[in-house]
Amino acid sequence: MTPAAPSRWPRTLGARLLLILAAGMLLAHGLSFALLFYERAMATRSMMLSDMEDDVPLSVALLERLSPGERSQWLPRLERRTYRYLLRPAKPGTALASDRARQVTARIDDALAHRYALRPRAVSAAPERYEVELTLSDGQPLTIEVTPSLLPIARWLPWVLAAQIALLLGCVWLAVRLATRPLERLAAAADRLDVAGQGEAIPEQGPLEVEKAARALNALQSRVAAHVSERMQILAAISHDLQTPITRLRLRIESLEETAAQERLLDDVTQLGQLVREGIDYARSANVTMGEPLQLDLPAFLDSVVGDYEDMGKPVERLPGDHVTLQTHPRVLRRIVQNLIDNALAYAGNAQVGLTVDAEGRASIIVLDRGPGIPEASMATVLQPFHRLEPSRGRASGGTGLGLAIAEQLSRSLGGRLRLSNRAGVGLRAEVELNVGVKLSAEEKDGAGKRA
Amino acid sequence: MQTTPHTDHILVVDDDADIRQLAGDYLRRNGLRVTQAADGREMRAALETSDVDLIVLDVMMPGEDGLSLCRNLRAGKHRAVPVVMLTARDDETDRIVGLEMGADDYVVKPFSSRELLARINAVIRRARMLPPNLQVSEAARLIRFGQWRLDTAARHLLDDAGTAYPLSGGEFRLLRVFIDHPQRVLSRDQLLNLTRGRDAELFDRSIDLLVSRLRQRLGDDAREQTFIKTVRSEGYVFSQPVVLLGEDA
Repeated sequence: MTPAAPSRWPRTLGARLLLILAAGMLLAHGLSFALLFYERAMATRSMMLSDMEDDVPLSVALLERLSPGERSQWLPRLERRTYRYLLRPAKPGTALASDRARQVTARIDDALAHRYALRPRAVSAAPERYEVELTLSDGQPLTIEVTPSLLPIARWLPWVLAAQIALLLGCVWLAVRLATRPLERLAAAADRLDVAGQGEAIPEQGPLEVEKAARALNALQSRVAAHVSERMQILAAISHDLQTPITRLRLRIESLEETAAQERLLDDVTQLGQLVREGIDYARSANVTMGEPLQLDLPAFLDSVVGDYEDMGKPVERLPGDHVTLQTHPRVLRRIVQNLIDNALAYAGNAQVGLTVDAEGRASIIVLDRGPGIPEASMATVLQPFHRLEPSRGRASGGTGLGLAIAEQLSRSLGGRLRLSNRAGVGLRAEVELNVGVKLSAEEKDGAGKRA
Repeated sequence: MQTTPHTDHILVVDDDADIRQLAGDYLRRNGLRVTQAADGREMRAALETSDVDLIVLDVMMPGEDGLSLCRNLRAGKHRAVPVVMLTARDDETDRIVGLEMGADDYVVKPFSSRELLARINAVIRRARMLPPNLQVSEAARLIRFGQWRLDTAARHLLDDAGTAYPLSGGEFRLLRVFIDHPQRVLSRDQLLNLTRGRDAELFDRSIDLLVSRLRQRLGDDAREQTFIKTVRSEGYVFSQPVVLLGEDA
């Protein structure tokens, strides 16, 4: 249980509860059985002693009366469950070992009113057996062989015990399940929770504690979502309001005389415009207006995207691949693929676009390039907004560092996932995994950057 | 355009006085006649007093915005005047809404004056080449031919099951030209001129290549030409009847 030995202690709450409850119940049960046996032993002994006190003097007196010849015939009739009489001296043995044996001997001595000299010897330790020798008045030795034993327990008792333990374990398992299942459901629901505030909330049900936790998580999520959406709206509003002054700036610069300085100013204002545009795009990608989903033929879709690049004379190639149609939002998907292609064109100068469908029917759109790829250490950070691998290069190609972040956000809003990896040889592989058959909500999600 | 005897008259509608003035100045320097309007009221007044060849319309204006102005324009007597929208963001939703409201093209802010001029010229050229009553593709969102339906706003083909087959910009423009001229033989030059769209300076693929790509999209092949038939030494003809379906169906 201590952190020092964590490996011995099971990791799941269920196993821990099961272990504690089962161990506790088994221990308690064992204890009560032990007590029962102890009590039973005490009762048996006191019964035996009181029987002996009455029985032994009677038997000895009877044997005294009988002729030596008759005595051996009577012996079986005097035999009891725990002791019998033998017409021989006691075995050599040792001195009595247990208090109980000495106690029994003393009781026999008392019962015989101290008229005989008793010579008790312990002859066996397990099973415990001792012999008490005395000499009858005619000189014949008489030995009382005592074999203390409990009354035998009933045959059905072990079965009862087993049944009880099984019942206990069953109840414990049920209780543990009852306690942990809502927790598991809560964890699973929390996993599906989207911080951006889309998707479903955690169902607030189950045991009171779990319900409280679910409510707390939902409240947390809505606070985070409000925060995210507020930030996005601010970004969208700023970007949006910048567009009119930038347009003015651009038109004004264009009306100037054509000089090197004017050209540089134009480059600056172009970059500014692009940054603002992508700022809006990024702000809206978290809360994109989807419209109705549509059954889309993916190969035709990719052909059309690649066709647009081909028409512009860009080196974008369509790879042969699988065929699949799925429910999705073509406009959003187009944006994702365009961003990935633009990124490939900016960093590698070329792009290949393909489509694969795995054994489980998941479709993935793949955009490959033969560029420098991304250092493994930067893999995660390139998906963050405003991140650029080489600022100078990105600037030259006009990127703002938002393209991949937007593609990632939009992929998630389609219920898919964007994954980047370096290709074995050279270049980057961007894969958008789409969940075929996923139910997309058709409702309009209006948020940041609403039309003014 | 300086060579044409008729000087095109452009009406620039934008609530921002500087943008109006700067864009207007540039267009004037390039041989166009420009009238400026700050809002819908001034726009309507300008339309009443003179013949306008094209309206440049800002989407985002206080009061009546560009989209509703455009819609009203299309419902009124000036419905034939082409419109180029100035939108604030490069978003397909805006583009589609704009095109649905009856705009002919759009320019995204911040735009360059050269870009604006190129769009204006392309739209005017297209309007000249196609008499308004022939611009079938402008009249309906959904157009049926053969087993296909074309969604002119979303720019994709729909099959009978409702599966969408998106078209590239070039394919869409070419198909629209064919749909606007069903059963008419179009020469390669005509097709090139009509198809050249917003990216005119970048578009230099041969029409033959584009036709073969569009045939592939439509499920035609060179031997069995159901939709686009080759007319030897003349050009191509779209041989399927075209049915306008309107908003739904």
